[in-house]
Amino acid sequence: MKVFISGGCKNGKSTLAQRLAKALAEGGELYYLATMEPRDAEDEARIRRHIAEREGWGFQTLECPRDIESCIGKISAGGTVLLDSVTALLSNEMFPPPDYAMDPAAPRRVAEGLLKLGERAGSIVYVSDYIYSDAEIYDAVTDGYKRGLAYVDRALAQACQAVAECCAGLVIWHKGRAEP
Amino acid sequence: MHLIIGGAFQGKLDYAVKKYGLSEGDIFECSESGEIEFKKCVNHLERFTLGCVRRGLEPAEVFMSSPELWRDRILICEDISSGVVPVDAVMRAWREANGRLLNWLSPQAESVTRLFCGLPQVLK
Repeated sequence: MKVFISGGCKNGKSTLAQRLAKALAEGGELYYLATMEPRDAEDEARIRRHIAEREGWGFQTLECPRDIESCIGKISAGGTVLLDSVTALLSNEMFPPPDYAMDPAAPRRVAEGLLKLGERAGSIVYVSDYIYSDAEIYDAVTDGYKRGLAYVDRALAQACQAVAECCAGLVIWHKGRAEP
Repeated sequence: MHLIIGGAFQGKLDYAVKKYGLSEGDIFECSESGEIEFKKCVNHLERFTLGCVRRGLEPAEVFMSSPELWRDRILICEDISSGVVPVDAVMRAWREANGRLLNWLSPQAESVTRLFCGLPQVLK
């Protein structure tokens, strides 16, 4: 089963995603694809906190901050994957070093890579972030990123059997349903 | 009137085009000029509200004064209500005026649909 989860910051997305991935794995291979590339001490602390939260859940952690297709071979076919987050992966792909200039082809590439990853996995849970409802007129770069993330989100939501929005630790199912 | 709301780039117009069989000529795209033309479908109402705010007008009042113009239309508006309170006073006024307009329109709508990542959620 493919599940897509989005919502605002600190609304319970990662917790729901972990519980769903664990349940969907039914004791089989369970992978956590970590997409965040630490840039400072704050990021490192956040990553340590996430690792501690996953302890004892049985996840094998694979670092995959970019080029998601290269990760596909590291997953055994039929395994269960938790990808957290689409947001960080797209940001790494869209603004690559050394100059961090915007790559407008990144959203399509990331969407295709993520869909291929989903085909390889038996079950997959994608986690993204809902960043679309603020009253701000952004520059072309930020607006391009929002548009790009929405493109990836919509492609994933279309391909998934279940789509959830997390709000205050509660879940709104926009499509299908998955039980942890 | 059918009201379609949701965050930026969530597929509101795509949904309206498919659901109501709209063609390009049926759609009026609002700009920040504050001008509005009630074609079959009015898109980006939030830009109209920004235009109103910049001209010192209350967008909800513009709608109240001429219900016959939009009673059988499809209105699409971005939800701009959920970010940090903007530092800029005009942006703050815009966010509130847009919310007031949606609050005023939704009770009069035949249907209200929110788009989330391309998926419609019927609120009314």
